[in-house]
Amino acid sequence: MGGVAWTEEEDQLLKKCIERYGEGKWHRVPLLAGLNRCRKSCRLRWLNYLRPNIKRGSFAEDEVQLIIKLHKLLGNKWSLIAGRLPGRTANDVKNFWNCHLSKKLCARETEEECNQSAMNVETITPHPARSISMTGSTKQRTQDYHVAPNSLPAIKESSMSMPFNFFGVDQQGHDQLVKEERDIRVQEPAGGLFIGDLTTEDHRFGQFDEVNVLSRADEGCSKWDWDDLMLDMDLWTDSL
Amino acid sequence: MENSSQESHLRSDNSVTYESPYTVYAMAVSSTPSPTNLSHQSIALGSFLEDYSNRVDIISFDPDTVSVKTHPTLSFDHPYPPTKLMFQPNRKSSSSSSSSDILASSGDYLRLWEVRESSIEPLSVLNNSKTSEFCAPLTSFDWNDVEPKRIGTSSIDTTCTIWDIEKGVVETQLIAHDKEVYDIAWGEARVFASVSADGSVRIFDLRDKEHSTIIYESPQPDTPLLRLAWNKQDLKYMATIQMDSNKVVILDIRSPTMPVAELERHQASVNAITWSPQSSKHICSAGDDTQALIWELPTVAGPNGIDPLCVYSAGAEINQLQWSAAQPDWIAIAFSNKMQFLKV
Repeated sequence: MGGVAWTEEEDQLLKKCIERYGEGKWHRVPLLAGLNRCRKSCRLRWLNYLRPNIKRGSFAEDEVQLIIKLHKLLGNKWSLIAGRLPGRTANDVKNFWNCHLSKKLCARETEEECNQSAMNVETITPHPARSISMTGSTKQRTQDYHVAPNSLPAIKESSMSMPFNFFGVDQQGHDQLVKEERDIRVQEPAGGLFIGDLTTEDHRFGQFDEVNVLSRADEGCSKWDWDDLMLDMDLWTDSL
Repeated sequence: MENSSQESHLRSDNSVTYESPYTVYAMAVSSTPSPTNLSHQSIALGSFLEDYSNRVDIISFDPDTVSVKTHPTLSFDHPYPPTKLMFQPNRKSSSSSSSSDILASSGDYLRLWEVRESSIEPLSVLNNSKTSEFCAPLTSFDWNDVEPKRIGTSSIDTTCTIWDIEKGVVETQLIAHDKEVYDIAWGEARVFASVSADGSVRIFDLRDKEHSTIIYESPQPDTPLLRLAWNKQDLKYMATIQMDSNKVVILDIRSPTMPVAELERHQASVNAITWSPQSSKHICSAGDDTQALIWELPTVAGPNGIDPLCVYSAGAEINQLQWSAAQPDWIAIAFSNKMQFLKV
């Protein structure tokens, strides 16, 4: 806007008046100060130039960063932005923005967008497959176990880490089973049993087995699932 | 703790308690000795205040004198309660600077902190959110001990994100489940498993990102599974716990959908499970019944189920459990505002 610049004497009069009467009651200030200025003009002059705490120098780096961040968040709300910058007036922030940052930022934002799309990591959705049990039906569990490793050479039982070493508990009843297992289990701890037998012995799971495992006989599963699981296990045991 | 069951002595040479100014939830035991004193172990404790400002304190534990020492300078502010804390696994003291350890924390983002002798410096904030305004909180994470530059995080936005922390970039992000993912655990360098509010345990292989394998689903549909622990001594076995359940479910990944065991001796919900760092058949669980139980898994279960090997009763509901490989004779538990080290 146009208008007359404030002279030194006018500034002095205004300053003295505010110091004496405090801020506020701006409608009286021109009269009290003896100024030929309107109340709005007095108020603005005080807030933007004459207030003691105004920081004069150029904006520091961190202030600039804050302005950019706040402008991104708040937009053109200068008073809010200046509220977060102690010692800076809304007016100064606005002028700084419009003179210096606006053009720069426009250019930078488009650049950032280009970079972002290059860096965007694609989010993949794996398709879940319900993998089937390695062993066959419950009733023939131990026998199937004998059969299975031979027919599926990918599953190298011997190269897997040992299942729970099992010492001492309830030896008598299971010696028979132990003997059966012996020819499969290359690593042979004393009295070790395959953990899979846990489910056959534990009555709680007996029923569960029959319902689920029997219905999932080998013929029923899709070949893809079976092969895939084998492949995974093979890769996995090798790298163990 | 003594090896007979039903014993819960609290002798001074068997345990030590540290009382924190605030409720403790996240806890981590360092895998390498403390930089200040080689016989000490550093422990990080995260506060649980329902507030933006939370804290993480580092204390050191001396197993020889069975005492803990606080370090007022080794403490830092953390935004929101850390959902998990973990030190860098298996750091060889010869490689990299032996005077500092790296601690990772999850909360709103995955953050890395360098724990030095007398100060903690933030290393990085790993933020993958495209907008600056919203981020999906991380429920948990796991640091791959075979490939230490790899950390996998799980989030409530149903995704698991795998980070390369050396470069500070995302290696891959997978939509792992249909609902919030609550825990994630690495099996080996490129295989991890996760559990979710959709009630499933799924295994993922980074070599085949298009497919995942469901190896267990909770019997009642859509009952969330809260925690997952992969037995590092025997990678065939995993343990998981269901929300509000007193059972620890042991899974064999070769026999999917059918647990090999359900450990049902807690009298209230189980909150934490951890496998023994040395023995493949021992697992420890703790819950709201204020008890921590150590189980030895037999190859054959009796008709009445499996009984725990040892029982320890704390003064309050136990929220956290850590059994560190660096101190395999000691189990750390956290309940209300206390942390206790118990001798096994």
